[in-house]
Amino acid sequence: MGTWQAPDKSLFLGSEDSRSQLSISAPFKSLPVQEEMMTKYSNLSLESHNISVTAAPFTSLPVQEEMMTKSSNLSLESHSISMTAMPIKENNKGNQICVDRGIMLQRNVTLEHSNMPVEKNITLERPSNVELICQFTPSGDLNSVNVTWKKGDKLLEGNYLVNATGGILYTQHRVAVINSKQMGSYSCFFGEKKQQRGTFNLKVPEINGQNKPLITYLGDSVVLTCKCQDCLPLNWTWYGGNGSVQVPIGVPVNDKYVISGKHANETRLKITQLSEDDQGTYLCHAIFELGESEGHVKLVVLSYLVPLKVFCAIAAEVVLLVAAILLFEMYTQKKKKPSDDGKEFEQGEQLKLDDSNGIENSGPRHRKNP
Amino acid sequence: MPPPGGTPPPHPPPDGGWGWVVVGAAFISIGFSYAFPKAVTVFFKEIQLLFNTTYSEIAWISSTMLAVMYAGGLGLAFNLQPALTIIGKYFYKKRPVANGLAMAGSPVFLSTLAPFNQYLFNTYGWKGSFMILGGLLLNCCVAGSLMRPVEPKASTESKNKVGVRETDCSMKKRQKKLSVWEEINKYLDFSLFKHRGFLIYLSGNVIMFLGFFAPVIFLAPYAKDKGIDEYSAAFLLSVMAFVDMFARPTVGLIANSKLIRPRIQYFFSFAVMFTGICHLLCALAEDYTSLVVYAVFFGLGFGSVSSVLFETLMDLVGAQRFSSAVGLVTVVECCPVLLGPPLAGKLVDETGQYKYMYLACGAIVVLASVWLLIGNAANYRLLAREKKKSIHTKESQETEPLKTSQSPSVNIKSGKNEEWKGAEVNSSERETNI
Repeated sequence: MGTWQAPDKSLFLGSEDSRSQLSISAPFKSLPVQEEMMTKYSNLSLESHNISVTAAPFTSLPVQEEMMTKSSNLSLESHSISMTAMPIKENNKGNQICVDRGIMLQRNVTLEHSNMPVEKNITLERPSNVELICQFTPSGDLNSVNVTWKKGDKLLEGNYLVNATGGILYTQHRVAVINSKQMGSYSCFFGEKKQQRGTFNLKVPEINGQNKPLITYLGDSVVLTCKCQDCLPLNWTWYGGNGSVQVPIGVPVNDKYVISGKHANETRLKITQLSEDDQGTYLCHAIFELGESEGHVKLVVLSYLVPLKVFCAIAAEVVLLVAAILLFEMYTQKKKKPSDDGKEFEQGEQLKLDDSNGIENSGPRHRKNP
Repeated sequence: MPPPGGTPPPHPPPDGGWGWVVVGAAFISIGFSYAFPKAVTVFFKEIQLLFNTTYSEIAWISSTMLAVMYAGGLGLAFNLQPALTIIGKYFYKKRPVANGLAMAGSPVFLSTLAPFNQYLFNTYGWKGSFMILGGLLLNCCVAGSLMRPVEPKASTESKNKVGVRETDCSMKKRQKKLSVWEEINKYLDFSLFKHRGFLIYLSGNVIMFLGFFAPVIFLAPYAKDKGIDEYSAAFLLSVMAFVDMFARPTVGLIANSKLIRPRIQYFFSFAVMFTGICHLLCALAEDYTSLVVYAVFFGLGFGSVSSVLFETLMDLVGAQRFSSAVGLVTVVECCPVLLGPPLAGKLVDETGQYKYMYLACGAIVVLASVWLLIGNAANYRLLAREKKKSIHTKESQETEPLKTSQSPSVNIKSGKNEEWKGAEVNSSERETNI
């Protein structure tokens, strides 16, 4: 378990168990809020390797506090991005520190290029506390850099920390993600240049439908599956999309549509007695606490005539060719027969040779077969 | 020994003309026979997936599929046999070239069927694809209709004379009742098992096929095991098929040359050895480039072996008995072909590495090649000796008046079966009929 330490070492916060009570004194005026938060949520465990709480004061967070009071057992996730102002000449490999104790995740990514907006996709399934950390190495003076956070285009005020140590500027923003309103893109900006920013995209897990269209025939049955890799949606629903209108399927329960699923991370829609109307794109919706996600499955219904036509074409071609070959054979044989009379003499000559050869050849052959 | 099939004396092979059309027909037949099952197995995997989702655990689905495969296999076997046999009927001087060209059908069809099947599957689903593929297979009828029997050159007059002689013989034959065993022997010449050359060929091939196909089957998994992605691994097989395509007719040409044709059995042994060494060296391959090099050389080896595979059999037993011979050979060979890959797979499971499987397969194939080499060297020597004897006895026969009529010692076994008039072939005939 990690510990908090103030820069002036005036306090030492250890959280051996999840129920630690913290008493923090000045100079951190804003800390009481934090203290409140932490006292109310005893199941939170906080781990961090490189946070130093200084500089930017916390403004009060009444709203967030309320939200946090309503939910407990939130997990805390931490993600970070780091950038440098100057191009690094030596190759800094990304050091990925994945500390996963079932609750906390911290990823620290060091980049090679500067002046490039950096993006990171974060997949969230359940409500959790998300900690976003940006590291920045400016070329000039640290303190002159203005650090801001934005959600989408909206500037976020407060509840982020900024720290400068050893020539590197750190900023951390914590978000309590409870429902879909908190999902989206969060960006940290260093200075005025638009290039020096890092973006965290908070998304729900993606659903995999089927990339290739399913080909079926009239009267057949088909099973459409949607899968999710490592997620467990709360609920699945299917929609049949005929054009822009999406009609939910399976609502009036009938024999034609059967929705099932062996595991929670997949769903199956079985359609029987296919007809041409069943053609189109089907959508499977996965509902999470933090939003919805969907996958596509395209269904094509053909009639048997389609391949049958091709088959008949090929069969006709075969019949034609065979007929042509047989006719050609008969023709060439007929051609040979009338010329037989003229060639009798020659053939007579040939015959003698044939005979003699026959004797020669049949001799050893007969002896070959004892 | 009963006469092989009671066929009339064979006619001189044209060695050209309509023969090339027949080669084309055989090309199509062989292509369908070999490539079709391989291409269709890809379908079966997809269909099994489909059926797993629609019907859970219905065993009859898989058994129906097996039955279809067997029925299809039977049909394709009927397709393959005549194609091979008729080449022997039509060609003698240029038979290796004809064989090589016809056998090239297999890789050509395989490489075209694979992407074509994918397209069909994506457009028509599996039901439609099978319908269309079945239609395509009907083209084998076209190929079959091109395979005309070799025309007899005798005219009606000669037929009369020959007919008289034949009726005499046939009357004698009718008096002799054929036993059950002899009936069977008419169709499947079991007497071949006494044929020295045939036995050498058969035993060598059985050993070879144990280790021949497993490397092909495991090439893609081996590549993936080394960390190569799926598409590059599949590309390796395409490289192999591509080289195979060109290797077969080229090797057929080489085998036809004056230098090689008389020693074609040695050539076959060397081709097998080459393939075996390829497998051994593959165990050393570490990265993608070396695997590509292996694929190229393996394609060469595979092509050269396949090209002369049936040619050597024809060379040993002669065109007369070839159809029985090839039937017997394929029946016996199916055992190692079936057993080889699963055993290799087991070896991979036990050792955990593909390297040992390649080494084992390479060793088996090299062993087969050594056996073939030694066996055929001995066979050649014995044949040469018998030939000398026969010339000797023939000469003595011509000078002396025939006193002894039965002359059992006159074992003119060195068959000059295929010494056609005017055929100045340097290749000494290997057809021993012991």
